[in-house]
Amino acid sequence: MKSLSIAFIVFTLALLGFSTYQGLFVAPTEQTMGDVQRIFYYHVPSAWVAGVCFFVNFLASIAYLWKRSLNADALAAASAEVGVVFCTIVLITGPIWARPVWGIWWTWDARLTTTLVLWLIYVSYLMLRRFAAGGQTQVLAAALGIFGFVDVPIVYMSIRWFRTQHPSPVMGGGENSGLDPTMLHAFMWNLLAFTCVGIVLVATRYRLQQLENAVEAEHAQLALEGRAR
Amino acid sequence: MSGFVALRAAYAVTWVIALLYVRYLVVRYRAVSKEMKDLKRSA
Repeated sequence: MKSLSIAFIVFTLALLGFSTYQGLFVAPTEQTMGDVQRIFYYHVPSAWVAGVCFFVNFLASIAYLWKRSLNADALAAASAEVGVVFCTIVLITGPIWARPVWGIWWTWDARLTTTLVLWLIYVSYLMLRRFAAGGQTQVLAAALGIFGFVDVPIVYMSIRWFRTQHPSPVMGGGENSGLDPTMLHAFMWNLLAFTCVGIVLVATRYRLQQLENAVEAEHAQLALEGRAR
Repeated sequence: MSGFVALRAAYAVTWVIALLYVRYLVVRYRAVSKEMKDLKRSA
């Protein structure tokens, strides 16, 4: 199992190197924006991984409320944390792209605002898990994970519902949308690489959460034994 | 900020955030593993 994990990590790193090379050197330069468009190859896959992580958190939260399984809770905690990391990348790389293209770092556009709200929801989820006292923390976190996920489809649909500053959908956005095949090739490699990075990080964080739960159980056991003596 | 500087900045920020998170996981993993070993020894 350990050698399989190491093999997957090595595969992911190799894939990440290859996909970065594809995005930086193989994909053609976009005509109007120039090189800055290549941020797209990191920005969009990061948003994809964040969305998938929040979906996993949503499913794990439902599973926890249903079965009261500590493993489901550990998966919910892991996926929310990794989701916040990737959402942070989205919120930083977006304005770095926007400054040379739009001339501004930020605008209260529907996509940008809903993404910021999404980040705030899951940061508050992590703070709830970290600082709330009492035995109901996991239940409250699961409830927040379920209700918080409502913002994910709103973020996705925001550029379809509202026509504002953010670029309209590049893929699946109607007749005039789509990518050059070489660009699509680079994009798909990056999407795959970022997905693998997300899997590695969630799996590692999940294992860490399980270990923390085991330490907590061991502390409780020792306290009980001390009281019995 | 020129397009090329922005591109380099965006890629660098992505790697820095990811590597900082990996470092955080490794440090926390080591601390929890050590705590578990100490607890088992004291038990």
